[in-house]
Amino acid sequence: MMSSLPSAEIILAIDVGSVNTRASLFDVIDGRYRLVATSEAQSTAGPPLMDLSEGVRLAMDHVQAITGRRLIDESDNLILPTTGFGAGVDLLVASVSAGPRVKTILAGLMPGVSMTSVRRLADSTYIDVVGEISLADNRKIEEQVDLIISQQPDLILAAGGTDNGAHNPISQLLEILKLALGLMSEGQRPQVVFAGNRSLGALVTDQLAERTQVSLMPNVRPSIEIEDLAPARLQLAETLFAIRSKRISGFQELKQWTGGVLLPSAEAFGRLVRYLSKIYDPDKGVLGVDLGSSQTTIAAAFEGELNLTVNTELGIGSSILGLLEEGNLQDILRWIPIDVGESEVRDYIYTKAVHPSSLPTTPHDLQIEMAIARQIIRLALKKARKSWPKGKNSRSRLTLPPIEPILAAGATLARAPKPGQTVLMLLDALQPTGVTTLVLDPYSLGSALGSTAGPVPMATVQLLEAGVLVSLGTAVSPVGKGRAGRKVLSYRLDREDGSALLSGDVLYGELVRLPLGPGQTGRLTLEPERGFDVGYGSLGRSATLRVSGGLVGLIIDARGRPIVLPRERELQKEINQRWQWEIESEK
Amino acid sequence: MYLPPVAHVASNTTIRRVRSLPVPGTITVNVNELVEARDIVGEAEYAPHHQFIDIAQSLGIPASEVPRYLTRERGDRVEQGEIIAGPAGFPRRSVRAPADGRIAAVTNGMILFEIRQDPYLLSAGYPGEVVGSDGRLSVTIENSGALVQGVWGNGQEDIGVMRIVGEGPRDRLLTDQLNVELRGAVLVAGICDHPAPLQQASDISVRGIILGGLSSDLIPIAESLSYPIVVIDGFGSVPLNQAAFDLLNENKGREAALDARPAVPFDPHRPEVIIPLPVANIADLPEDLIPLAPGVRVRVTRQPNNSEVGIVEEVLDKAVSYPSGILARSARVDLESRGSTNVPLANLEILQ
Repeated sequence: MMSSLPSAEIILAIDVGSVNTRASLFDVIDGRYRLVATSEAQSTAGPPLMDLSEGVRLAMDHVQAITGRRLIDESDNLILPTTGFGAGVDLLVASVSAGPRVKTILAGLMPGVSMTSVRRLADSTYIDVVGEISLADNRKIEEQVDLIISQQPDLILAAGGTDNGAHNPISQLLEILKLALGLMSEGQRPQVVFAGNRSLGALVTDQLAERTQVSLMPNVRPSIEIEDLAPARLQLAETLFAIRSKRISGFQELKQWTGGVLLPSAEAFGRLVRYLSKIYDPDKGVLGVDLGSSQTTIAAAFEGELNLTVNTELGIGSSILGLLEEGNLQDILRWIPIDVGESEVRDYIYTKAVHPSSLPTTPHDLQIEMAIARQIIRLALKKARKSWPKGKNSRSRLTLPPIEPILAAGATLARAPKPGQTVLMLLDALQPTGVTTLVLDPYSLGSALGSTAGPVPMATVQLLEAGVLVSLGTAVSPVGKGRAGRKVLSYRLDREDGSALLSGDVLYGELVRLPLGPGQTGRLTLEPERGFDVGYGSLGRSATLRVSGGLVGLIIDARGRPIVLPRERELQKEINQRWQWEIESEK
Repeated sequence: MYLPPVAHVASNTTIRRVRSLPVPGTITVNVNELVEARDIVGEAEYAPHHQFIDIAQSLGIPASEVPRYLTRERGDRVEQGEIIAGPAGFPRRSVRAPADGRIAAVTNGMILFEIRQDPYLLSAGYPGEVVGSDGRLSVTIENSGALVQGVWGNGQEDIGVMRIVGEGPRDRLLTDQLNVELRGAVLVAGICDHPAPLQQASDISVRGIILGGLSSDLIPIAESLSYPIVVIDGFGSVPLNQAAFDLLNENKGREAALDARPAVPFDPHRPEVIIPLPVANIADLPEDLIPLAPGVRVRVTRQPNNSEVGIVEEVLDKAVSYPSGILARSARVDLESRGSTNVPLANLEILQ
């Protein structure tokens, strides 16, 4: 129906990462949005250009070359809106993750309340926390002042007080900030963002505005019981872009092209995950993992509520050294099925840190890189789960809560040579429980789809329906304790295309892959042994469910939760070799 | 168009570097002045230590009366023991400065006292002419010479006469190569994979070490040493690339300034070796923006063939599949030691 067609038919989505800049063109074909072309160029936000525009133009050039559609005019400007001659776009949406560290001091009142909320706010975006001060701080005031001065932060992110709550505690905090700012040179003073008691906005401005730029944002803790990060996070993004703009050009132009809405890539990715949570099983959460070069984003949505965690100290490129600070090399080695020593893994990590976009061309290097990816995701997930809601977080559950689906993004996951390798990285790193679908973002469209969801939600819906995300398959992960070789469950898979029925037993420690290709569906009957739960309410409870296939098929992961690897290196290698072989060979 | 990272390995170029204080202070040299590497070109009071002194309590007076009894004002510098407030009350009491420092602020009957620390001293880093200064934060120094840029540094800086140690770019740095004759020298070696040579180099007071590859196990030790270590090519058993070795070898016996401050994302600085040279003609500044194209000299940045230097023969239109299974946009490169081979663009760096 013509009336249902949206006003913006041709949409260009830009995502600027620290390594790559992507441009994706969506158009309405036969009444529905379709992905017409997507392209990638190297990002130019870093040296020597320090201008993200060039990377954006290169990516747009590629799209022009692929589609033949002119996007840029003779003056190098975006053609917006479309012309009658098949040129231009109706809408440009954009997201950015590239940029230098935004060194931030967090300031709050109480450890378990405003400090927790402001820390969560910081963890949900591209912020590097270099220090914290609070009224509950045991350090003397002058020590807190010295901390602010010595760290030379770009930003002080402060919160505290419930809306219309008491003034006094905030006044004390402001005194410390005012003192520190007064001791810093003009030009060195950090901006201050206050996301606390709304009624104190005037006081905060009055105290600090003559010394630095102050931004007031919605209270992250409007009442003791309620934490609300999303409104502040959106406004904080503006401040972060402004800070990054001091060192990198091009933000302003890109923002102008979008009509004023430039999103952090993590926020855009989070929107997509939140959207998925609204269309999938409401009893389960949705988990998105975006393994980037300079950060790892974990987006989890439960009942439509997004929990976003951006790990700026953990990435598979320029932020890879964070891995050495947060874990030990044995945690990486245990996933490697070949002869490799700690030194070699450490050398690899340092090499990747100085050449973040470099690629593993040998099978040996690929194994190391995939093991590193597992450990980064594990650490990122561990951190993220601390802020998940009660009942889902690591304090209340050791294993991952029920998730459907898991969305995997980032080049290491999305462009692994074999889809089985991606599946194994996800299963090892996330260790899902019960039944879940593993979905891949092969064209790196996650942020683009999230950016589009705001102005043209229908585009995101239809693009998802069109299959821009690809299913890797359905994973069944029984939970329970067992011994190697003991039966965990029996299965029967009736494929709806009439292929032969598949049935068998799965033993503890095995990974079983059953053929169920993309687009195929089947009825899967699971009969777990007593002591094993496949996510249907209780131990040993049987279930029949409809499952869909994917690039890898149906995977039954009977390795237990958590996966326990042998301590001996030789046995670790053997077991990883076996799992790799099992995931790559169908029963 | 693909713009790989550029590492300079240049025999004759103009080297212009901005040297900055961590916080505003004073630039102590003037434009057109000639400086040596160790000359101090700026200083600043960095990360001062503060202490509250409760004047009201010490003098036994109300906080509101404190300003009346201060003998020094906000911003004043004072010496240890100098009276800063009082006398007041009975018996007559005074407050003295606890250390050399400055009265940073007066608030609520208290003085925030800034205890004087040793100032941060900014050295020139390499000899040259001051060509720019903002007077309080940064100074620009220029010279001509050879330049070799690396991938990692241990944070130190120094200058010394360059000496080649070992047989060539693949040779390991060993303790028996190090003796007192190398005191004060900057050493050039292929690979270092043992802590003993680094320690021995410290014992004989070398001024720095330039390496092709450093085992990353040694990074904590390297970071604890007081002399600079610049790693040119990578981590592990990675030889010094031939182009850099040849250039350093040609200049052995000359002074080399090592800036081993590590690279930071979104900062153009790279660890580097500057060899000041007298030149007849002023050379151009090195190019930082070079599209990958046939004829361009490149270095491979990871295994296999890590640190090998070659010339681009062709930037391939189609992605190439590698033994790992990955598909990557690639170039065909004529490597000096291996001949023609395909390398992902992402694994190349231009050497210019």
